[in-house]
Amino acid sequence: MHDDASHNAAPASRWHDAVTTFDLLLQQTINGLSLGAMYALLALGFTLVYGILELINFSHFNVFMVGSFVALFVLQGFGLSGQEVILTGLPLAGVLLATFLITMAFCGGLGVVVERITLRPLRNVKGPAAMITSIGVSYILFNVILLTVGADSKNFPNPLPTIRWQIGGATLDFRVVLIWAIALLLMGILYMFVQRSRMGKAMRATAQDAEAARMMGVEVDKVIMMAFFLGSALAGAGGLIFGLYYNFTSFIIGFTAGLRAFTAAVLGGIGNVPGAMVGGVLIGLIEAMGGQFIATAWTDVIIFSILVLVLVFKPAGLFGRIAPNKS
Amino acid sequence: MNATASAAVSVLARPFARIPEAKRRRLGLLLLTAAALAFPFLHDNDADVDSMANAAAYATLALGLNIVVGFAGLLDLGYAAFFAIGAYTYGILTAFQLQPEWSAFWEPFHFLGLVAKMPAETGDGSVVHFTLSFWLGLPLAAGLAAFFGILFGAPTLRLRGDYLAIVTLGFGEIVPIVVRNWSDLTNGAAGLNGVAAPRLFGWSFGVDARPYYYVAIGMVALLVFVSIRLRDSRIGRAWMAIREDEIAAGTMGVDRTKFKLLAFAIGAAFGGMTGVFYVAKLQTATPEMFGFPVSVMILVMIVFGGIGSVWGVVLGAFILQLLQSWWLQDLSEWLHALGRLVDSSMLQHIDLVPSIELIFGLILVCMMLFRRQGLIPATRPQPPLTFDQQHAEIRRGGFTDLKLAGLGGDVRTGAAALEVKGLTVRFGGLTALDGIDLVVPTGGVVAVIGPNGSGKSTLFNAITGLVPAEEGSIRFHGEEILGLPDYQILAKGIARTFQNLRLFANLTVMENALIGQHARLRTGTLAAIFRPPGTKAEEIRAREWAMEVFAIFGNRLVPRAAQMVSGLSYANRRRIEIARALASRPRILLLDEPTAGMNPAETLELAEQIKSLNGLGLTVLLIEHKLDVVTTLADTVYVLDHGEVIAHGKPDEVRRDEEVLRAYLGRNAQASMAGVGTAHVA
Repeated sequence: MHDDASHNAAPASRWHDAVTTFDLLLQQTINGLSLGAMYALLALGFTLVYGILELINFSHFNVFMVGSFVALFVLQGFGLSGQEVILTGLPLAGVLLATFLITMAFCGGLGVVVERITLRPLRNVKGPAAMITSIGVSYILFNVILLTVGADSKNFPNPLPTIRWQIGGATLDFRVVLIWAIALLLMGILYMFVQRSRMGKAMRATAQDAEAARMMGVEVDKVIMMAFFLGSALAGAGGLIFGLYYNFTSFIIGFTAGLRAFTAAVLGGIGNVPGAMVGGVLIGLIEAMGGQFIATAWTDVIIFSILVLVLVFKPAGLFGRIAPNKS
Repeated sequence: MNATASAAVSVLARPFARIPEAKRRRLGLLLLTAAALAFPFLHDNDADVDSMANAAAYATLALGLNIVVGFAGLLDLGYAAFFAIGAYTYGILTAFQLQPEWSAFWEPFHFLGLVAKMPAETGDGSVVHFTLSFWLGLPLAAGLAAFFGILFGAPTLRLRGDYLAIVTLGFGEIVPIVVRNWSDLTNGAAGLNGVAAPRLFGWSFGVDARPYYYVAIGMVALLVFVSIRLRDSRIGRAWMAIREDEIAAGTMGVDRTKFKLLAFAIGAAFGGMTGVFYVAKLQTATPEMFGFPVSVMILVMIVFGGIGSVWGVVLGAFILQLLQSWWLQDLSEWLHALGRLVDSSMLQHIDLVPSIELIFGLILVCMMLFRRQGLIPATRPQPPLTFDQQHAEIRRGGFTDLKLAGLGGDVRTGAAALEVKGLTVRFGGLTALDGIDLVVPTGGVVAVIGPNGSGKSTLFNAITGLVPAEEGSIRFHGEEILGLPDYQILAKGIARTFQNLRLFANLTVMENALIGQHARLRTGTLAAIFRPPGTKAEEIRAREWAMEVFAIFGNRLVPRAAQMVSGLSYANRRRIEIARALASRPRILLLDEPTAGMNPAETLELAEQIKSLNGLGLTVLLIEHKLDVVTTLADTVYVLDHGEVIAHGKPDEVRRDEEVLRAYLGRNAQASMAGVGTAHVA
């Protein structure tokens, strides 16, 4: 999955050096923003859950992966496979909308089930029990897909028309614009929900101090369920975007993408919703630029190094961490 | 059902119950050793012996990770990195990957048998071929892995548990990536080939499973021994203190940085050694052998067997590894046979082996949900106390029969034991302490009182190095201690208790008191492992001293020395905190509301015991809300309000001080309070 980012590298000629570098920067910015949109959606799930439970939810990695497969099956259900069928206009909008809704609902439900069955019983257990459990759940999801769908990567249907715009030497694809639009829309809805709605207010209160929120009549169990639902639904959307962007999906995509998204959440200050969005975009840009100007093989090392450096020197992230006050 | 089962077990165990515990353990160990040694002869199947050798290798990995996760409580998700480092160290130094040109520099290594001279494939010079011996490779890789353990551990020291997990996961991923990309050294993704098999007196192990099996079993035995020796020593107790409560560990004298790094280093060393064994056995190494799934598998083994339980993790590793390489295959074949019998093609084509990771996931979830202590719990339930033991004698008048040599012993002089000057502590915009001046005379008892939020506990935290002070000085017997780390402050002779109890809850009363003595004991890592006579004697003295300290509280703690702290009453836990602090042989004891939550009889009992301690020459500084306790104990009282000392003097003077009354009760209540004597103010 890392290779796509550097495909558009034009052979650098000595004559056009300055122009080429600028074009590459532009192209990688476009690529990075698309990756970033996906990481941001995924990072929001980490941040919502961590903000409330102080739990690094490893199952989120593979809820995302499951999401891309659900999307694949839904699209196949619409009779789409491979890149042959191109839809436009209303049918395209209808299929996309339905796929997004079904994928997000399924993943949201999956997140709620995971929380209810495996994490809620451990909520008051001290130590790493809940985190270990979430690793276990992640492993289960991973292997269920591996054993049922198989180890080979799957061709992802892409019904989008190929419309391209040339900006200088860089190409802007219709699907990239679509991905941006969808990600922005979802993040906007989430942000408004958290800021404006009654439930959103309850979520923020619980993140500040779960005990006090409970005493003020907030149903903390419901809030936590909601956090899992929203986070997992966004992860599902991220899974669909992954498929649309890369034209494939596989059982292994959760780990790398999950770790990068987690890094994004940490970078933005874990527990901080706008921070996760910005962090996701930054990580996407770093991946694209790193792949272009350093080496794709070292992308993960760069991202992990960022993770370690941020955690060690600025654990509150770039925009400040919003996490429970536990004394 | 359960009761019947346990009854059946107890009937079966009856003949063994008569054998004393220690002898029974020795017998069990002997039988296990005999079985392990005889296995390849009893079961003459090379593939199964090979599975056992692999299982033993994973048991050593699990033992190493158990030091980090089980003992020190540091969740490491990238442990396979150390396995990889060990493996590649030995691999590179025996394979044909690196072939520098021959020069005189290599002569001494040639003499030692570490390198060989080979004709170069191209040209006519000679090149070096590394021929490190397996037996030298083990300690070398252990050392190198330990170095990396410290290197990776150092930046994570300040991180909270869950962040630590993710950072170690990151390191665990970086190492295989570096291995893959640094192909000159490692041959990249293709892997190192032609790694030399171990040789013993000129005889190569080759591909026969048996010698590997015996080496692996030997390593398990060695690492079990080392783990147990470390666990039951000052080192292991320091780790467990960190695991249970980092802050309390620091104030009880444990240098957290040092001991966390030590845990990382020793755990990594185990992993490095195993890596050497593993590649020597496979004679190849690829980056895929050391990724995240391997780290998770080792974690699953620990979780399954019992986190922190030495025998548990060995059992967990054996069961899961054999399940993977042996039993699942057998089970699949049985299912195939059954399928042929009932003519079901589905059964005939089932292969259970690929589902091993699914099983790992299920094990993680189920163990955490239903049996967090694992197959063999690290701690065993203690027998309940007898009725006599439970019956507390209420002691009055403190104690007179104890010498407690080495505690206090300071003569009451005018000199200041503890002198706080101009101490200012700010939290962001809030000034918690504002220029505090306070003197505790040697051999005296000073009480600090004040309304909630007046800064009393912050004062204690500043003295014991838990919060940094912006200005001022804290001198202890003339020596500046402000800015020293918490564990050094304890070593100087300042021990404290906490208002909200910070005991090591999953350890015994005795272990708590032994951790209190951490700074006074000398046992290092090697002494803990080899346990020379001096170490043994030190350990016995430490236990005797702990019992002597417990005796301060009559029969309340003495019969409970072997009990888990978490199961004891609140008042007893308060006493254990004091005992733990006293065990460190302090020159001054800082008590933060020692009688909170005690009933009047218990309060009086404890107050008198503190008075007796003071009688032995122990200086005391205490925070207390109960004014009768303050009056009984203190020579001097300081009253804090809004982070300032608003009054100090003898208890009687302070009680009449107008400003004190105002701080506590507001202006209007003054008149009505004038006549009230020993009422509880808070």
